[in-house]
Formats: sequence, C-alpha cells, structure tokens
Amino acid sequence: MGTQVKDVVLKPDAPNTLLLDKHADYIAAYGSKKDDYEYTLSEYLRMSGIYWGLTVMDLMGQLHRMNREEITTFIRACQHECGGVSASIGHDPHLLYTLSAVQILSLYNDLSVIDVNKVVEYVKGLQQEDGSFAGDKWGEIDTRFSFCAVATLALLGKLDAINVDRAVEFVLSCMNFDGGFGCRPGSESHAGQIYCCTGFLSITGQLHQVNADLLGWWLCERQLPSGGLNGRPEKLPDVCYSWWVLASLKIIGRIHWIDKSKLRSFILACQDEETGGFADRPGDMVDPFHTLFGIAGLSLLGDEQIKAVNPVFCMPEDVLQRIGLHPEILN
Amino acid sequence: MHGRVKLKSTAQQEEEKKKEREKKLKVYKAARDACFSKRKEGTMDVEALQLTQQLLSSNPDFATLWNYRREILLHQETVRAEEEVQKVYEEELSFLEGCLKVNPKSYGSWHHRGWVSSRIPGPTGAESWACATAAWRWTTETELQFTDRLIGSNFSNYSSWHYRSTLLPLLHPQAHERDPPSPSTHSHSVCEEQLLKEYELVQNAFFTDPNDQSAWFYYRWLLGRAEREEMISCVYVSREGERLIVAFSRPVNALSVGLLLVVDGQPLNVDWRSAHPRFRHSPVWICELPPGTISDSSNEHNLTVHWTQRHIHRDCALYTGRSESWCRDSATDQELFRSDLSVEKTSVLQSELQSCTQLLELEPQNKWCVLTIVLLMRALDPLGYERETLAHFETLKDVDSMRSSYYSDLCSKFMIENTILKMEYAEVRVFSLSGKKLTTLCHLDQLLLVTHINISSNQLQTLPPQFAMLQCLEVLEADDNVIESLYGLYHLPRLEEVSLKNNQISRISDLKPLTTCPKLTRLDLRGNPVTQTANLQSELAQLLPSVTDLLL
Ligand SMILES: [Zn+2]
Repeated sequence: MGTQVKDVVLKPDAPNTLLLDKHADYIAAYGSKKDDYEYTLSEYLRMSGIYWGLTVMDLMGQLHRMNREEITTFIRACQHECGGVSASIGHDPHLLYTLSAVQILSLYNDLSVIDVNKVVEYVKGLQQEDGSFAGDKWGEIDTRFSFCAVATLALLGKLDAINVDRAVEFVLSCMNFDGGFGCRPGSESHAGQIYCCTGFLSITGQLHQVNADLLGWWLCERQLPSGGLNGRPEKLPDVCYSWWVLASLKIIGRIHWIDKSKLRSFILACQDEETGGFADRPGDMVDPFHTLFGIAGLSLLGDEQIKAVNPVFCMPEDVLQRIGLHPEILN
Repeated sequence: MHGRVKLKSTAQQEEEKKKEREKKLKVYKAARDACFSKRKEGTMDVEALQLTQQLLSSNPDFATLWNYRREILLHQETVRAEEEVQKVYEEELSFLEGCLKVNPKSYGSWHHRGWVSSRIPGPTGAESWACATAAWRWTTETELQFTDRLIGSNFSNYSSWHYRSTLLPLLHPQAHERDPPSPSTHSHSVCEEQLLKEYELVQNAFFTDPNDQSAWFYYRWLLGRAEREEMISCVYVSREGERLIVAFSRPVNALSVGLLLVVDGQPLNVDWRSAHPRFRHSPVWICELPPGTISDSSNEHNLTVHWTQRHIHRDCALYTGRSESWCRDSATDQELFRSDLSVEKTSVLQSELQSCTQLLELEPQNKWCVLTIVLLMRALDPLGYERETLAHFETLKDVDSMRSSYYSDLCSKFMIENTILKMEYAEVRVFSLSGKKLTTLCHLDQLLLVTHINISSNQLQTLPPQFAMLQCLEVLEADDNVIESLYGLYHLPRLEEVSLKNNQISRISDLKPLTTCPKLTRLDLRGNPVTQTANLQSELAQLLPSVTDLLL
C-alpha cells in the first residue's frame, strides 16, 4: 500500500498572466445577476459575499465601480435590535456577518451606517464563561468566532470590551500536537482554523505563544508538487487554502518556507480566461470567494499590480493604516 | 463553490439549463418566502417543519432555517407528550443523517445535530467521530483502542493520529505532573513506557508506507521535548551604567507579571524595558538602577529578582571590586536542545535510528526518513552527529527543493544550538559560527553574556530586533553576508567594534540603529553599496560622532 499524493497537474496552456481587467468586470457584473438561481441560493452568506467582492475590487483599485449607496442601505437594514448583523434581510444575525459588515464599512470609512455601540454589546454578549465565543444565540462554539469577535472589535477600536485574557486562554486550548489549531479543544488542525487562530493571536498581541517553527513546518508541507496548497494532509490543493496557509505563514514570519513562484503559477492557472474570476482549482467554476483569495494570495506573494493586503484582516493595508491598526507580525 | 468542474455546453443545452434553473428558482423562492412569512406570524406547526426540511435538504447552510426549526421543536416540547417529543427528535436525527451524507462539511447540520442530541432525554444513536469538526467524545481506554484499529486498517489517516495525540496525555500522563492533565494544557507529556510503545506503533506505520506523512508528523511530536518550565534563567548586573538584566525561560511581559527587585534588602522601584521596543513579550528585560545604588566598587551588593506571581526568585551577588556579576542556569544544565527521555532509554532511540537508517537504504530519496534521522541524531548526541546532520540537510534541500528555505533555517537553528553547547562546555563568552550557511539567527536570548560574536561568511539578510538581547556584546564580526538591515544593533551599551565588510547595506538611514550604541568606535563598511554615497564620510561623522575608526 502506497500513499498517492492527491494533486492536480497544471496544463501547459493554463493562464500564466494576471487578467486584472477581466476579474474586475466579473465582480462588477456579479451583483447584477440577482435573479440567478445560484445567486439566490447563496443568500444565507450575502454579507460575506459583498465583503469578498468589495475587498477584491479595492485591492485592484476598482472599488468605485461598486454601488456604495445600495450596499450601505442594505447593511443598515441587516442590523438587528440586538446589534448583530445578518447575512441578508429576513435572516438571523450572526458574528460571521457582523464582521463582514464592519469590514465593508471600514473599507468605505463609514461606520456611522450602523449602531456601533450595539455591535459591541452584541459581540460582548456572545463571550462564554470559558472565554470562547458563540456564533449567535444558539451557542455554536468555534475558534472562527473568536477571530470574528476580536477582528470586529479591533476594527471598532473596542477590543477592551471583552475579557481578552480568557479569550486567549480558550484559543490556546485548541492548539494541537502539530502546532496547529482546531475549532474546539481536541479538534483536528485545519488551515482555515489556523488562519483564524494565528490572526486572533496577532490581534491580541500573543503570537509568542505559537510554536512558529513547528506550525510553519506543517504549513509549508501543505504545498504540493503543482505549487498549490491544501488545507490538511492528503487533500487536494485549493486557491482559498492557499490564502489561509500563506496568510498564516506571513503572520508567523515564515512565508519564505514555501516555493513562491510555484504557488503563483498555481493561482494564475485557476483563472477563467473567458469569464474572469478564480476557481478553487484549474478548470472549475469561478466564484467571488476564490477570486478574492486568489488576488489576495498574489498580493502576499508580492505582485505589484495589486494593493498590499493585510494577512490578518484580509483587507487592503492602506485601510488599516487609516484606522491605525497594526496587528502583530513575527519577523 | 468547491469541486464544481466547468463543462462546455452547446447553446441549446444552455437554453434548456436556463429554463430549468428558472423553474427551480421559482419553487425555491416560494418555499423560502412561505417559511419567512410563517415565522413572522409566529407559526410553529408541522407544516413549517416540512417546508424548512425541503429547503434545508438542498441548502443545509441556510442557518436561519435551522434556527427556525429549533424554535419550532422547542415549542413542540411544550405542547406534546414526552414520548411524542422523543419521536419528533428521533425523526430530526434521521433527517440530519440524510443531510450529512449529502453535505458532510455543513457546520449548520453538525451544530443542529449536537443541539438535538442535547434535547433528547434517552440515549442517542452512535456518534460518527470521523468528522473531526463535530467530534465531542468521552476519552476512555476504548477510544485509544478504537484509534489502534483505525490506524491498523488505514495507516494514512491523519485524523486518527491527531486523535491519538489528544488521548495519550490523558490516559498515560507523565508521573511527576502535579496538575491533572487535560487536553487544554500545552504539556502533551506522556509517560515514558507508553512513549516507547508509541514509537513501535508509528514505526510499523511508516515501514508499511514510507510516504505516509501523517505517521511522520506524529513521530516528530513523540520526539519533541517537554515545554520548559517558566522560570528566571539568568540575572545579570553591571556596575557600569548600574544596569540589571533578567532573562526568562519563555517570553513574558515583565510589566504585568509582578516583578519585584530587592537590592541589599530594600525593594527598589525600577522601569523595566524589553530588549527592543518591538517586543511586548520578551525573554530579556532590562532596567537601570537609581544612580548610586551599586556604583561604589568598595562594597558588596546582593540583588534578588522576585517573580511574585510564580513565587520564584533568583539572587545575584556583586562582590567588592567586581564590575559585573551573574547567576544563571546554562544551556547544558537545562538540557535545552536534547530529548527529554531518561538516559537509560536512549538505547531505544539508538535502535530507532538504526531502523530509520535501514529504511533509508531502501528509500534513499525519502525526505521524511532523512528528516527523522536528523531529529533522532539530535535527540541522541547533537555534537557527535554534527557532520552527518549537515550532510543530511544537503540531501533534504536536494530531494525537496520546494522547502529548501525551511531546511536552511532548521539547519541554522541546529548549528546555533551546537555552537551554544560548545561555548558552554568551554566556559567562554565568545560565540563563533562562520562559514556555516546560516540563513537565520535564533536562540539569541541564550547569548546574553556573550562579548564577542563572529557570524561572518554566512547568508544572513538581517540582524533582527532579537539581536538587541546581546547586552554584553563588545565586538561584532559579520563580514561576507547579505545583511541589509541592522534593527538589532539597538542600545547595546558595551558595543565597540562592528565589522560588516561585504554586505548589502545601501542607505545611510540603515545605519541609524547604531546611533543608540554609545561606545561604538570602530565601524568597517567596506564592500557595501552605501560606500558609493556622496559625502558619506561627513554624513557619518555627524550621525555617529563616537566612531573614530571608520573604514569605507
Ligand atoms: Zn476553496
């Protein structure tokens, strides 16, 4: 019995240059397909969808092409009495979409659209006795929500509203034998979760608690011969995991441990030359989610046609500069 | 959004698909709107359960609908008899099983399943632990046997190894641990006897399939050392400048750990600063004593640093006529860079090394095997195996070139550890490591007492902020590297000579950190791009007035 390496092969005719104009057109047109079946099915995450679209447009210097008025009106309508924000109208509030809304309004430098004090109260109310955060009033616990909570509050300049020490304790209790993190104590490491936890520790100034050499090794071992990165051992490579792994490596100061040019080739090969946008893997259907993480990944790899992205918040660096946020990055 | 292959289709096919989608959209929207309006009206009936079920079957990530279902189920609890409620929940579980089969990654379904289980009074169905994101299990001996079986049937299962790593410290904790072990503590320490059994199990796994990375990851964990105890590892005091330096075994924020300094029986109020302003947490902290506290060399002084939160302290005596003094545990005392196995058991590691060497003969290109051999050699005898270790690193960079920077950094770390050990055995304050292809500097907190350092002829790009921990440094030789930045040459009070020949320093502003080193008299910048700058001599005379011996 031998282990087969799961991977893809890049075709020789795969795209190898960055098709910026096509991607901007793809995102600009995406929001106009409101009567599309697929679009309607993704209503449950609309607020995050808007954040992905706006962030990637901002990174490409095209934010002005999006309908700011329509978006801010929509966000205002999605804030609930409790202070939380929902993915769309008629849906229930959740930390995930509360963060997305705050990120969008930070891009627009217009936080007055929502009641910020109520957002702070909402986030605060979701912290549990053990320091963890529930995603909403139904109590699902996950380190992703710990990240959402501190990222939201940091963008609002209100990190001191919660018990940060307890929150840190909980996240550290999710650290595993491989140096990575899972969603709860004892859960297996996963690149998405590692991104959330290293991001969390960066925002709270606790990165010295990470075993950076061990975790960095696990992360750089995610790179497959195709150049793409997977999210866990023995899984296929994916553009979104490439971002999560890459951003985590950047946060812990080990981004040079992967082969940057091979990763760049993989990400470029995931572009759709006809429609614009990026897919999870070469030849698959594109979507705004992978389009953001494709562009953001290329930015971290140093592509100068794209604005510099912050690895912790996945937002343009200039936006964070304006807010005065400097999350910790290891050297 | 994942794994949907883009298919080429004809215009006619497109048209048909479009029609079909329009139809689906209509049905979907009607069901959604019906759900939303029922909920708005406060309806909690069976029909609403059916409607949400229809929508969730195709779209289990629609979290709000799960919330609505929970509201309905809670309502049903109040209006139905207990057996009926039990039945409703059991039906809910079988519905969920269907959802999870179609979409095993849906967070919403897993969370709802957990919620339903918590509402059922009787025992619930068998847990499927395969989905790691949802597994909340009781840790028992049976569990460990369960992973034994899983690993036995499929060695390449990372989840099983992970799960094992969480169970082992619970079932076979190291005897001397005072606190009851829990998966939430960092110390994953395991008793030695069980550790030896684990070596055997994992060795079987990688002999069966030498490319199974899961087993190798686990093996590296087993070889790892226990976390160092939190302690004060060194107190250093200098009469000149009346400075006191404290080193900790791990980075701390000295401003918040309750540090108390007592000099000759008197508590002193001092301001602690980390070695570099970039660090809020640092292993090295510095303070200046009030003028006159220890400046009189005709007197002996006794200093004690108390770490009040931990009930730890360390004393340091500064004798008459001495200019400096320190009290510390050396790297050799602490066995910093070796395995935490007892000496008798190192024979086991020796036989592990033999097995891996055999495997390498069969699989000469297997990087996992080479790396593990390196780690075993380090656990056994880091200095004795130095030459072999270096050769193995060359192999690793060759067979796994994508990660060559990782191997270079790891090799640098090991060489630095070895040099620290050699320095400790020789009881000198000179650290010399030139021509070893170093790409990174680490363990700099261990070099607190070093006065001379030679790191010439390496591949270093920077002297990082951590370099400022070398508080006793007088002479720095770092020729023939590719150094661009000198952040770490920061407030080094005794630094006199700096040689940076043939590096990549290109701007005068890169030299700015040196302005904080008051004793600097000799600076050699020959062979750097900065030497091409116009008026360099006069600019530097202004920037670094203490330098009398400038070589450009
Ligand atoms: Zn993906």
